[in-house]
Amino acid sequence: MNDVKVIFKREFDAYFYSPIAYVFSIIFIVLNTGLYMFHFFFFGNADMRAFFSTLPLVLGMIFIPAITMRLWSEEKKLGTVELLLTLPIRTEHIVLGKYLASLVFYLVALAGTLTIPLMLLFLGRPDFGPIAGGYFGAILLGAFFLALGIFISAFFSDQIISLIITSLVCGFFVLIGWRYVPMVIDGWIPGLGSFLYHYVGVSRHFNDIERGVVDLRSVVYFLSFTALFLFLNAKVLERRKF
Amino acid sequence: MITLKNVCKNYGPIQAVANVSFSIPKGEIVGFVGPNGAGKSTTMKIITTYTAPSSGTVTVGGFDVVENALEVRELIGYLPETTPLYADMLVHEYLEFVGRARHLNGAFKSRFDWVVEAAGLGTVLRRKIGELSKGFRQRTCLAQALIHDPAVLILDEPTSGLDPLQIIGIRKLIKELAHEKTIILSTHILSEAAAVSDRILMIHNGRIAADGKFEDLVRRVSDQNSVYIAVRAPKKDFDSSVRSMDLKDIIYDEALPRGVVGAHLFSEAKVDLTGKLNELIREKKWDIFNFTPEQMSLEDTFIRLTSGDKNSQGGDA
Repeated sequence: MNDVKVIFKREFDAYFYSPIAYVFSIIFIVLNTGLYMFHFFFFGNADMRAFFSTLPLVLGMIFIPAITMRLWSEEKKLGTVELLLTLPIRTEHIVLGKYLASLVFYLVALAGTLTIPLMLLFLGRPDFGPIAGGYFGAILLGAFFLALGIFISAFFSDQIISLIITSLVCGFFVLIGWRYVPMVIDGWIPGLGSFLYHYVGVSRHFNDIERGVVDLRSVVYFLSFTALFLFLNAKVLERRKF
Repeated sequence: MITLKNVCKNYGPIQAVANVSFSIPKGEIVGFVGPNGAGKSTTMKIITTYTAPSSGTVTVGGFDVVENALEVRELIGYLPETTPLYADMLVHEYLEFVGRARHLNGAFKSRFDWVVEAAGLGTVLRRKIGELSKGFRQRTCLAQALIHDPAVLILDEPTSGLDPLQIIGIRKLIKELAHEKTIILSTHILSEAAAVSDRILMIHNGRIAADGKFEDLVRRVSDQNSVYIAVRAPKKDFDSSVRSMDLKDIIYDEALPRGVVGAHLFSEAKVDLTGKLNELIREKKWDIFNFTPEQMSLEDTFIRLTSGDKNSQGGDA
Protein backbone atom coordinates (compact mmCIF):
# COMPACT_ATOMS: atom_id res chain seq x y z
CA MET A 1 0.00 0.00 0.00
CA ASN A 2 2.97 2.24 0.65
CA ASP A 3 4.06 1.69 -2.94
CA VAL A 4 0.68 2.83 -4.19
CA LYS A 5 1.11 5.99 -2.15
CA VAL A 6 4.53 6.72 -3.65
CA ILE A 7 3.20 6.41 -7.19
CA PHE A 8 0.04 8.30 -6.31
CA LYS A 9 1.97 11.25 -4.92
CA ARG A 10 4.20 11.57 -7.97
CA GLU A 11 1.30 11.31 -10.39
CA PHE A 12 -0.89 13.73 -8.51
CA ASP A 13 1.93 16.26 -8.23
CA ALA A 14 2.67 15.76 -11.92
CA TYR A 15 -0.75 17.20 -12.80
CA PHE A 16 0.27 20.44 -11.16
CA TYR A 17 3.80 20.70 -12.58
CA SER A 18 2.36 22.25 -15.71
CA PRO A 19 -0.52 24.71 -16.06
CA ILE A 20 -2.62 21.96 -17.68
CA ALA A 21 -4.27 21.02 -14.37
CA TYR A 22 -5.44 24.56 -13.69
CA VAL A 23 -6.58 25.14 -17.26
CA PHE A 24 -8.37 21.84 -17.22
CA SER A 25 -10.21 22.42 -13.95
CA ILE A 26 -11.31 25.90 -14.96
CA ILE A 27 -12.63 24.79 -18.33
CA PHE A 28 -14.35 21.81 -16.76
CA ILE A 29 -16.15 23.95 -14.18
CA VAL A 30 -16.93 26.87 -16.47
CA LEU A 31 -18.24 24.68 -19.28
CA ASN A 32 -20.36 22.46 -17.08
CA THR A 33 -21.85 25.21 -14.94
CA GLY A 34 -22.15 27.45 -18.01
CA LEU A 35 -24.11 24.85 -19.96
CA TYR A 36 -26.26 24.35 -16.92
CA MET A 37 -26.90 28.03 -16.24
CA PHE A 38 -28.07 28.49 -19.81
CA HIS A 39 -30.69 25.86 -19.19
CA PHE A 40 -31.41 27.16 -15.68
CA PHE A 41 -32.28 30.68 -16.80
CA PHE A 42 -34.44 29.30 -19.58
CA PHE A 43 -36.58 26.95 -17.53
CA GLY A 44 -36.00 28.15 -13.99
CA ASN A 45 -36.24 24.69 -12.39
CA ALA A 46 -34.46 24.18 -9.06
CA ASP A 47 -33.00 20.82 -10.06
CA MET A 48 -29.83 19.60 -11.77
CA ARG A 49 -31.31 17.34 -14.46
CA ALA A 50 -29.81 19.43 -17.25
CA PHE A 51 -26.38 19.26 -15.64
CA PHE A 52 -26.37 15.50 -15.23
CA SER A 53 -27.94 14.69 -18.58
CA THR A 54 -25.09 16.33 -20.51
CA LEU A 55 -22.43 15.05 -18.11
CA PRO A 56 -21.74 11.55 -19.57
CA LEU A 57 -20.99 12.82 -23.07
CA VAL A 58 -18.99 15.86 -21.93
CA LEU A 59 -17.07 13.75 -19.44
CA GLY A 60 -16.45 10.76 -21.67
CA MET A 61 -15.57 12.55 -24.86
CA ILE A 62 -13.56 15.49 -23.56
CA PHE A 63 -12.56 15.59 -19.93
CA ILE A 64 -11.73 12.03 -18.97
CA PRO A 65 -9.55 11.45 -22.05
CA ALA A 66 -7.73 14.69 -21.24
CA ILE A 67 -7.00 13.50 -17.71
CA THR A 68 -5.91 9.98 -18.64
CA MET A 69 -4.06 10.52 -21.93
CA ARG A 70 -0.72 11.32 -20.31
CA LEU A 71 -0.73 8.59 -17.68
CA TRP A 72 1.05 5.94 -19.75
CA SER A 73 1.58 7.63 -23.11
CA GLU A 74 3.85 10.26 -21.60
CA GLU A 75 5.88 7.61 -19.76
CA LYS A 76 6.32 5.72 -22.98
CA LYS A 77 7.37 8.78 -24.92
CA LEU A 78 9.90 9.86 -22.28
CA GLY A 79 11.13 6.30 -21.76
CA THR A 80 10.36 6.59 -18.05
CA VAL A 81 8.16 3.53 -18.35
CA GLU A 82 11.43 1.60 -18.38
CA LEU A 83 12.37 3.11 -15.04
CA LEU A 84 8.91 2.65 -13.58
CA LEU A 85 8.55 -0.99 -14.56
CA THR A 86 11.98 -1.94 -13.28
CA LEU A 87 11.33 -0.50 -9.82
CA PRO A 88 10.66 -3.12 -7.17
CA ILE A 89 6.95 -2.31 -7.20
CA ARG A 90 4.21 -4.61 -8.40
CA THR A 91 2.67 -3.53 -11.70
CA GLU A 92 -0.83 -3.58 -10.18
CA HIS A 93 0.30 -1.12 -7.53
CA ILE A 94 1.70 1.24 -10.13
CA VAL A 95 -1.55 1.08 -12.09
CA LEU A 96 -3.56 1.64 -8.92
CA GLY A 97 -1.40 4.58 -7.84
CA LYS A 98 -1.78 6.27 -11.19
CA TYR A 99 -5.49 5.55 -11.26
CA LEU A 100 -6.11 6.97 -7.80
CA ALA A 101 -4.17 10.12 -8.70
CA SER A 102 -6.41 10.68 -11.71
CA LEU A 103 -9.50 9.85 -9.67
CA VAL A 104 -8.68 12.34 -6.92
CA PHE A 105 -7.87 14.99 -9.51
CA TYR A 106 -11.25 14.36 -11.14
CA LEU A 107 -13.04 14.53 -7.79
CA VAL A 108 -11.43 17.89 -7.05
CA ALA A 109 -12.65 19.24 -10.39
CA LEU A 110 -16.09 17.76 -9.80
CA ALA A 111 -16.22 19.35 -6.35
CA GLY A 112 -15.81 22.68 -8.13
CA THR A 113 -19.31 22.28 -9.57
CA LEU A 114 -20.84 22.08 -6.08
CA THR A 115 -21.52 25.81 -6.46
CA ILE A 116 -24.66 24.84 -8.40
CA PRO A 117 -26.49 22.99 -5.58
CA LEU A 118 -25.32 25.74 -3.22
CA MET A 119 -26.90 28.34 -5.48
CA LEU A 120 -30.08 26.29 -5.78
CA LEU A 121 -30.29 26.15 -2.01
CA PHE A 122 -30.48 29.94 -1.86
CA LEU A 123 -32.77 30.43 -4.83
CA GLY A 124 -35.32 27.68 -4.31
CA ARG A 125 -36.12 24.48 -2.53
CA PRO A 126 -34.35 21.77 -4.53
CA ASP A 127 -34.92 18.07 -3.94
CA PHE A 128 -31.53 16.89 -2.70
CA GLY A 129 -32.21 13.20 -3.41
CA PRO A 130 -31.65 13.36 -7.16
CA ILE A 131 -28.78 15.82 -6.73
CA ALA A 132 -26.94 13.53 -4.31
CA GLY A 133 -27.74 10.61 -6.62
CA GLY A 134 -26.42 12.60 -9.55
CA TYR A 135 -23.12 13.28 -7.85
CA PHE A 136 -22.86 9.67 -6.76
CA GLY A 137 -23.46 8.61 -10.37
CA ALA A 138 -20.91 11.15 -11.61
CA ILE A 139 -18.31 9.65 -9.28
CA LEU A 140 -19.04 6.10 -10.45
CA LEU A 141 -19.10 7.18 -14.09
CA GLY A 142 -15.82 9.03 -13.71
CA ALA A 143 -14.24 6.05 -11.96
CA PHE A 144 -15.22 3.79 -14.86
CA PHE A 145 -14.13 6.13 -17.67
CA LEU A 146 -10.83 6.90 -15.95
CA ALA A 147 -10.01 3.19 -15.70
CA LEU A 148 -10.87 2.82 -19.36
CA GLY A 149 -8.77 5.85 -20.31
CA ILE A 150 -5.66 4.68 -18.46
CA PHE A 151 -6.02 1.27 -20.04
CA ILE A 152 -6.13 2.80 -23.54
CA SER A 153 -3.24 5.13 -22.73
CA ALA A 154 -1.02 2.08 -22.15
CA PHE A 155 -1.17 1.18 -25.82
CA PHE A 156 0.06 4.44 -27.37
CA SER A 157 3.12 6.57 -26.93
CA ASP A 158 1.35 9.57 -28.43
CA GLN A 159 -0.92 11.45 -26.06
CA ILE A 160 -3.14 12.82 -28.80
CA ILE A 161 -3.83 9.33 -30.14
CA SER A 162 -4.69 8.18 -26.62
CA LEU A 163 -7.03 11.14 -26.23
CA ILE A 164 -8.86 10.46 -29.47
CA ILE A 165 -9.20 6.72 -28.99
CA THR A 166 -10.37 7.14 -25.38
CA SER A 167 -12.84 9.77 -26.52
CA LEU A 168 -14.24 7.43 -29.17
CA VAL A 169 -14.50 4.43 -26.86
CA CYS A 170 -16.15 6.44 -24.07
CA GLY A 171 -18.47 7.94 -26.68
CA PHE A 172 -19.40 4.44 -27.75
CA PHE A 173 -20.23 3.45 -24.17
CA VAL A 174 -22.45 6.52 -23.82
CA LEU A 175 -24.20 6.30 -27.20
CA ILE A 176 -24.91 2.59 -26.88
CA GLY A 177 -26.96 3.46 -23.82
CA TRP A 178 -29.22 5.82 -25.75
CA ARG A 179 -32.35 4.24 -27.06
CA TYR A 180 -31.97 4.99 -30.76
CA VAL A 181 -28.48 3.67 -31.34
CA PRO A 182 -29.16 0.11 -30.13
CA MET A 183 -32.39 0.08 -32.12
CA VAL A 184 -30.43 0.73 -35.30
CA ILE A 185 -27.93 -2.00 -34.40
CA ASP A 186 -30.81 -4.38 -33.68
CA GLY A 187 -31.95 -3.70 -37.23
CA TRP A 188 -28.65 -5.06 -38.54
CA ILE A 189 -28.00 -7.89 -36.12
CA PRO A 190 -31.11 -8.69 -34.10
CA GLY A 191 -30.39 -8.93 -30.38
CA LEU A 192 -26.97 -7.34 -30.43
CA GLY A 193 -28.28 -3.80 -29.95
CA SER A 194 -30.43 -4.62 -26.95
CA PHE A 195 -27.68 -6.76 -25.45
CA LEU A 196 -25.28 -3.82 -25.68
CA TYR A 197 -27.95 -1.46 -24.38
CA HIS A 198 -28.64 -3.54 -21.31
CA TYR A 199 -25.21 -4.81 -20.38
CA VAL A 200 -22.63 -2.46 -21.87
CA GLY A 201 -24.17 0.99 -22.31
CA VAL A 202 -23.48 3.55 -19.63
CA SER A 203 -26.46 5.88 -19.94
CA ARG A 204 -29.16 3.57 -18.66
CA HIS A 205 -27.28 2.85 -15.42
CA PHE A 206 -26.24 6.44 -15.00
CA ASN A 207 -29.73 7.77 -15.59
CA ASP A 208 -31.14 5.41 -12.94
CA ILE A 209 -28.71 6.61 -10.31
CA GLU A 210 -29.07 10.22 -11.38
CA ARG A 211 -32.83 9.99 -10.86
CA GLY A 212 -32.09 8.98 -7.29
CA VAL A 213 -32.79 5.29 -7.89
CA VAL A 214 -29.60 3.63 -6.67
CA ASP A 215 -29.95 0.12 -8.03
CA LEU A 216 -27.27 -2.26 -6.77
CA ARG A 217 -26.97 -3.72 -10.27
CA SER A 218 -25.96 -0.32 -11.63
CA VAL A 219 -23.36 0.14 -8.93
CA VAL A 220 -22.02 -3.33 -9.68
CA TYR A 221 -21.97 -2.44 -13.38
CA PHE A 222 -19.72 0.58 -12.84
CA LEU A 223 -17.46 -1.05 -10.28
CA SER A 224 -16.95 -4.24 -12.25
CA PHE A 225 -16.04 -2.38 -15.45
CA THR A 226 -13.63 -0.21 -13.46
CA ALA A 227 -11.98 -3.26 -11.91
CA LEU A 228 -11.87 -5.07 -15.26
CA PHE A 229 -10.00 -2.30 -17.05
CA LEU A 230 -7.55 -1.77 -14.18
CA PHE A 231 -6.85 -5.49 -14.16
CA LEU A 232 -6.38 -5.59 -17.94
CA ASN A 233 -4.11 -2.59 -17.72
CA ALA A 234 -1.72 -4.38 -15.35
CA LYS A 235 -1.85 -7.49 -17.53
CA VAL A 236 -1.07 -5.55 -20.70
CA LEU A 237 1.93 -3.90 -19.07
CA GLU A 238 3.23 -7.18 -17.74
CA ARG A 239 3.33 -8.64 -21.20
CA ARG A 240 5.71 -5.82 -22.16
CA LYS A 241 5.41 -6.15 -25.86
CA PHE A 242 6.37 -2.56 -26.50
CA MET B 1 25.54 -13.58 -10.15
CA ILE B 2 23.97 -13.29 -13.59
CA THR B 3 23.28 -16.34 -15.73
CA LEU B 4 21.70 -16.50 -19.17
CA LYS B 5 20.81 -19.85 -20.70
CA ASN B 6 19.82 -20.12 -24.37
CA VAL B 7 18.05 -16.78 -24.30
CA CYS B 8 16.13 -15.70 -27.39
CA LYS B 9 14.05 -12.60 -27.94
CA ASN B 10 11.91 -12.04 -30.98
CA TYR B 11 10.18 -8.86 -31.98
CA GLY B 12 7.74 -10.23 -34.50
CA PRO B 13 9.83 -11.77 -37.26
CA ILE B 14 13.01 -10.05 -36.08
CA GLN B 15 15.25 -11.99 -33.75
CA ALA B 16 16.96 -9.42 -31.55
CA VAL B 17 18.71 -11.93 -29.32
CA ALA B 18 19.51 -15.40 -30.64
CA ASN B 19 20.38 -18.20 -28.26
CA VAL B 20 22.66 -16.28 -25.97
CA SER B 21 24.25 -18.01 -22.98
CA PHE B 22 26.81 -16.65 -20.56
CA SER B 23 27.31 -16.22 -16.88
CA ILE B 24 28.91 -13.42 -14.92
CA PRO B 25 30.41 -14.09 -11.48
CA LYS B 26 30.01 -11.65 -8.62
CA GLY B 27 32.23 -8.59 -8.72
CA GLU B 28 33.09 -8.77 -12.41
CA ILE B 29 32.85 -5.80 -14.79
CA VAL B 30 31.65 -6.91 -18.19
CA GLY B 31 31.58 -4.71 -21.28
CA PHE B 32 28.96 -5.41 -23.92
CA VAL B 33 30.39 -4.28 -27.21
CA GLY B 34 28.79 -4.35 -30.59
CA PRO B 35 27.44 -2.22 -33.39
CA ASN B 36 24.14 -0.40 -32.96
CA GLY B 37 21.22 -2.79 -33.15
CA ALA B 38 23.34 -5.78 -32.18
CA GLY B 39 21.15 -6.79 -29.25
CA LYS B 40 23.07 -5.19 -26.38
CA SER B 41 20.15 -3.13 -25.09
CA THR B 42 17.66 -5.94 -25.55
CA THR B 43 19.85 -8.29 -23.53
CA MET B 44 20.04 -5.66 -20.79
CA LYS B 45 16.29 -5.14 -20.85
CA ILE B 46 15.82 -8.85 -20.34
CA ILE B 47 18.24 -8.94 -17.40
CA THR B 48 16.51 -5.95 -15.78
CA THR B 49 13.09 -7.67 -16.15
CA TYR B 50 11.78 -4.91 -18.41
CA THR B 51 11.28 -7.32 -21.29
CA ALA B 52 10.62 -11.01 -20.90
CA PRO B 53 12.73 -13.38 -23.00
CA SER B 54 10.87 -15.29 -25.74
CA SER B 55 12.64 -18.44 -24.59
CA GLY B 56 15.47 -19.44 -22.31
CA THR B 57 16.09 -18.62 -18.67
CA VAL B 58 17.79 -15.71 -16.97
CA THR B 59 18.66 -15.59 -13.29
CA VAL B 60 20.10 -12.73 -11.28
CA GLY B 61 21.40 -13.53 -7.81
CA GLY B 62 19.58 -16.87 -8.04
CA PHE B 63 16.21 -15.29 -8.86
CA ASP B 64 14.47 -15.91 -12.16
CA VAL B 65 13.69 -12.68 -14.03
CA VAL B 66 10.20 -13.83 -14.98
CA GLU B 67 9.12 -15.72 -11.86
CA ASN B 68 10.77 -13.52 -9.22
CA ALA B 69 10.88 -10.20 -11.04
CA LEU B 70 10.46 -8.12 -7.88
CA GLU B 71 13.44 -9.72 -6.12
CA VAL B 72 15.57 -9.21 -9.22
CA ARG B 73 14.55 -5.56 -9.43
CA GLU B 74 15.62 -5.02 -5.82
CA LEU B 75 19.11 -6.21 -6.73
CA ILE B 76 19.56 -4.17 -9.87
CA GLY B 77 20.40 -0.55 -10.55
CA TYR B 78 19.63 0.27 -14.15
CA LEU B 79 20.65 3.14 -16.38
CA PRO B 80 18.65 2.75 -19.60
CA GLU B 81 19.96 4.11 -22.86
CA THR B 82 17.11 6.62 -23.12
CA THR B 83 17.89 8.30 -19.76
CA PRO B 84 14.32 8.16 -18.45
CA LEU B 85 13.70 11.37 -16.54
CA TYR B 86 10.59 13.33 -15.68
CA ALA B 87 11.36 16.66 -17.31
CA ASP B 88 9.07 18.63 -15.00
CA MET B 89 10.60 17.41 -11.76
CA LEU B 90 13.49 18.98 -9.89
CA VAL B 91 16.60 16.84 -9.59
CA HIS B 92 16.19 16.27 -5.86
CA GLU B 93 12.47 15.52 -6.22
CA TYR B 94 13.30 12.90 -8.81
CA LEU B 95 15.89 11.23 -6.60
CA GLU B 96 13.53 11.35 -3.63
CA PHE B 97 10.84 9.68 -5.70
CA VAL B 98 13.18 6.88 -6.77
CA GLY B 99 14.45 6.55 -3.20
CA ARG B 100 10.92 6.10 -1.86
CA ALA B 101 9.97 3.72 -4.64
CA ARG B 102 13.08 1.71 -3.78
CA HIS B 103 11.99 1.55 -0.12
CA LEU B 104 15.07 3.30 1.25
CA ASN B 105 13.24 5.00 4.15
CA GLY B 106 15.78 5.71 6.91
CA ALA B 107 18.83 5.01 4.77
CA PHE B 108 17.77 7.58 2.21
CA LYS B 109 19.57 10.62 3.57
CA SER B 110 23.04 9.06 3.60
CA ARG B 111 22.53 7.36 0.25
CA PHE B 112 21.24 10.61 -1.25
CA ASP B 113 24.28 12.55 -0.06
CA TRP B 114 26.64 9.87 -1.34
CA VAL B 115 25.01 9.67 -4.75
CA VAL B 116 24.88 13.44 -5.21
CA GLU B 117 28.58 13.58 -4.40
CA ALA B 118 29.49 10.61 -6.62
CA ALA B 119 27.52 11.84 -9.62
CA GLY B 120 28.52 15.46 -9.10
CA LEU B 121 24.98 16.80 -8.87
CA GLY B 122 25.51 19.22 -5.98
CA THR B 123 25.06 22.34 -8.09
CA VAL B 124 21.87 21.31 -9.89
CA LEU B 125 19.75 19.77 -7.11
CA ARG B 126 17.15 22.55 -7.31
CA ARG B 127 17.09 22.75 -11.10
CA LYS B 128 14.34 21.42 -13.33
CA ILE B 129 15.47 18.24 -15.08
CA GLY B 130 14.15 19.44 -18.43
CA GLU B 131 16.52 22.41 -18.31
CA LEU B 132 19.66 20.36 -17.65
CA SER B 133 22.40 19.69 -20.17
CA LYS B 134 22.81 16.21 -21.60
CA GLY B 135 25.72 15.51 -19.28
CA PHE B 136 23.77 16.38 -16.15
CA ARG B 137 20.75 14.42 -17.32
CA GLN B 138 22.97 11.40 -17.82
CA ARG B 139 24.42 11.84 -14.33
CA THR B 140 21.02 12.35 -12.72
CA CYS B 141 19.98 9.09 -14.26
CA LEU B 142 23.14 7.39 -13.09
CA ALA B 143 22.43 8.68 -9.57
CA GLN B 144 19.01 7.08 -9.81
CA ALA B 145 20.64 3.74 -10.66
CA LEU B 146 23.04 3.96 -7.70
CA ILE B 147 20.79 5.33 -4.99
CA HIS B 148 19.84 2.00 -3.44
CA ASP B 149 23.40 0.64 -3.44
CA PRO B 150 22.52 -2.23 -5.80
CA ALA B 151 24.51 -5.43 -6.00
CA VAL B 152 24.20 -5.43 -9.78
CA LEU B 153 24.59 -2.40 -12.02
CA ILE B 154 23.36 -2.43 -15.59
CA LEU B 155 24.56 0.61 -17.49
CA ASP B 156 23.43 1.08 -21.09
CA GLU B 157 25.84 3.47 -22.78
CA PRO B 158 26.77 5.25 -19.55
CA THR B 159 29.15 7.75 -21.13
CA SER B 160 27.18 8.82 -24.19
CA GLY B 161 26.77 12.56 -24.33
CA LEU B 162 29.43 13.30 -21.75
CA ASP B 163 32.55 15.40 -22.29
CA PRO B 164 35.99 13.75 -21.96
CA LEU B 165 36.47 14.94 -18.40
CA GLN B 166 33.10 13.56 -17.32
CA ILE B 167 33.83 10.29 -19.14
CA ILE B 168 37.00 9.89 -17.09
CA GLY B 169 34.97 10.66 -13.97
CA ILE B 170 32.37 8.02 -14.76
CA ARG B 171 35.03 5.44 -15.56
CA LYS B 172 36.73 6.18 -12.27
CA LEU B 173 33.42 5.81 -10.46
CA ILE B 174 32.76 2.48 -12.17
CA LYS B 175 36.20 1.21 -11.16
CA GLU B 176 35.61 2.31 -7.57
CA LEU B 177 32.33 0.44 -7.47
CA ALA B 178 33.90 -2.60 -9.07
CA HIS B 179 35.07 -4.25 -5.87
CA GLU B 180 31.66 -4.90 -4.39
CA LYS B 181 29.34 -4.85 -7.41
CA THR B 182 28.72 -6.84 -10.52
CA ILE B 183 28.59 -4.43 -13.43
CA ILE B 184 27.50 -4.75 -17.03
CA LEU B 185 28.02 -1.77 -19.27
CA SER B 186 27.41 -1.45 -22.95
CA THR B 187 29.21 0.73 -25.42
CA HIS B 188 30.07 0.81 -29.06
CA ILE B 189 33.41 2.43 -28.26
CA LEU B 190 35.84 -0.44 -27.87
CA SER B 191 38.53 1.53 -26.12
CA GLU B 192 36.04 2.37 -23.41
CA ALA B 193 35.13 -1.25 -22.82
CA ALA B 194 38.82 -2.12 -22.81
CA ALA B 195 39.53 0.61 -20.28
CA VAL B 196 37.05 -0.42 -17.58
CA SER B 197 35.98 -4.02 -18.13
CA ASP B 198 37.50 -7.22 -16.83
CA ARG B 199 35.87 -9.04 -19.65
CA ILE B 200 34.37 -8.20 -23.01
CA LEU B 201 31.31 -9.75 -24.59
CA MET B 202 31.14 -8.86 -28.21
CA ILE B 203 27.59 -9.05 -29.51
CA HIS B 204 26.73 -9.08 -33.16
CA ASN B 205 23.40 -9.84 -34.81
CA GLY B 206 21.97 -11.01 -31.49
CA ARG B 207 24.74 -13.55 -30.97
CA ILE B 208 27.87 -13.53 -28.90
CA ALA B 209 30.69 -13.08 -31.36
CA ALA B 210 33.45 -13.21 -28.78
CA ASP B 211 33.88 -13.51 -25.04
CA GLY B 212 37.02 -12.96 -23.03
CA LYS B 213 39.65 -10.54 -21.81
CA PHE B 214 40.45 -7.79 -24.26
CA GLU B 215 44.06 -8.93 -24.70
CA ASP B 216 42.92 -12.50 -25.42
CA LEU B 217 40.46 -11.29 -28.00
CA VAL B 218 43.14 -9.28 -29.72
CA ARG B 219 45.52 -12.23 -29.66
CA ARG B 220 42.85 -14.49 -31.07
CA VAL B 221 42.38 -12.39 -34.17
CA SER B 222 45.87 -11.08 -34.72
CA ASP B 223 47.94 -13.28 -36.96
CA GLN B 224 50.99 -11.03 -37.09
CA ASN B 225 53.53 -9.29 -34.92
CA SER B 226 54.32 -5.69 -35.57
CA VAL B 227 57.02 -3.45 -34.17
CA TYR B 228 57.96 0.13 -34.88
CA ILE B 229 61.67 0.70 -34.50
CA ALA B 230 63.87 3.73 -35.04
CA VAL B 231 67.66 3.60 -34.56
CA ARG B 232 70.71 5.69 -35.41
CA ALA B 233 72.22 3.56 -38.14
CA PRO B 234 73.18 3.62 -41.80
CA LYS B 235 70.09 2.82 -43.79
CA LYS B 236 71.74 0.21 -46.02
CA ASP B 237 73.14 -1.67 -43.07
CA PHE B 238 69.80 -1.56 -41.27
CA ASP B 239 67.89 -2.71 -44.33
CA SER B 240 70.08 -5.72 -45.04
CA SER B 241 70.14 -6.83 -41.39
CA VAL B 242 66.42 -6.53 -40.93
CA ARG B 243 65.52 -8.27 -44.17
CA SER B 244 67.33 -11.39 -43.03
CA MET B 245 64.74 -11.87 -40.25
CA ASP B 246 61.97 -13.38 -42.41
CA LEU B 247 59.66 -10.40 -42.28
CA LYS B 248 56.36 -10.26 -44.07
CA ASP B 249 56.56 -6.58 -44.73
CA ILE B 250 58.55 -3.47 -43.95
CA ILE B 251 57.38 0.10 -44.20
CA TYR B 252 60.01 2.82 -43.79
CA ASP B 253 59.24 5.93 -41.82
CA GLU B 254 60.57 8.87 -43.84
CA ALA B 255 59.82 11.63 -41.33
CA LEU B 256 62.92 11.21 -39.18
CA PRO B 257 66.06 13.29 -38.62
CA ARG B 258 69.12 12.65 -40.79
CA GLY B 259 71.11 9.64 -39.68
CA VAL B 260 68.14 7.97 -38.02
CA VAL B 261 66.35 5.15 -39.74
CA GLY B 262 62.90 3.96 -38.70
CA ALA B 263 60.44 1.38 -39.96
CA HIS B 264 57.30 -0.59 -39.17
CA LEU B 265 58.23 -4.26 -39.29
CA PHE B 266 55.69 -7.03 -39.70
CA SER B 267 56.18 -10.76 -39.26
CA GLU B 268 54.20 -13.92 -38.69
CA ALA B 269 52.70 -14.27 -35.21
CA LYS B 270 55.03 -17.15 -34.31
CA VAL B 271 58.18 -15.14 -35.04
CA ASP B 272 59.70 -13.56 -31.94
CA LEU B 273 60.29 -10.20 -33.56
CA THR B 274 61.14 -8.36 -30.37
CA GLY B 275 63.78 -10.86 -29.34
CA LYS B 276 65.45 -10.88 -32.74
CA LEU B 277 65.57 -7.11 -32.90
CA ASN B 278 67.09 -6.97 -29.45
CA GLU B 279 69.87 -9.33 -30.53
CA LEU B 280 70.50 -7.32 -33.63
CA ILE B 281 70.75 -4.02 -31.78
CA ARG B 282 73.02 -5.43 -29.12
CA GLU B 283 75.30 -6.87 -31.78
CA LYS B 284 75.42 -3.68 -33.86
CA LYS B 285 75.51 -1.32 -30.86
CA TRP B 286 72.94 1.03 -32.45
CA ASP B 287 71.33 3.80 -30.43
CA ILE B 288 67.64 3.29 -30.05
CA PHE B 289 65.36 6.26 -30.77
CA ASN B 290 62.08 4.44 -30.54
CA PHE B 291 60.91 0.90 -30.01
CA THR B 292 57.18 0.22 -29.90
CA PRO B 293 55.46 -3.15 -30.20
CA GLU B 294 52.33 -2.32 -32.20
CA GLN B 295 49.03 -3.86 -31.24
CA MET B 296 46.28 -4.41 -33.66
CA SER B 297 43.97 -1.44 -33.46
CA LEU B 298 40.76 -1.84 -31.53
CA GLU B 299 38.61 -1.16 -34.49
CA ASP B 300 40.45 -3.75 -36.56
CA THR B 301 39.82 -6.32 -33.83
CA PHE B 302 36.20 -5.37 -33.75
CA ILE B 303 35.71 -5.72 -37.46
CA ARG B 304 37.58 -9.04 -37.54
CA LEU B 305 35.47 -10.46 -34.73
CA THR B 306 32.13 -9.33 -36.05
CA SER B 307 32.70 -10.21 -39.69
CA GLY B 308 34.37 -13.51 -40.68
CA ASP B 309 32.43 -16.66 -39.78
CA LYS B 310 35.65 -18.33 -38.68
CA ASN B 311 35.86 -16.14 -35.61
CA SER B 312 32.21 -15.95 -34.70
CA GLN B 313 32.52 -19.41 -33.20
CA GLY B 314 35.08 -18.07 -30.75
CA GLY B 315 32.46 -17.22 -28.15
CA ASP B 316 31.95 -20.84 -27.24
CA ALA B 317 35.51 -21.25 -26.04
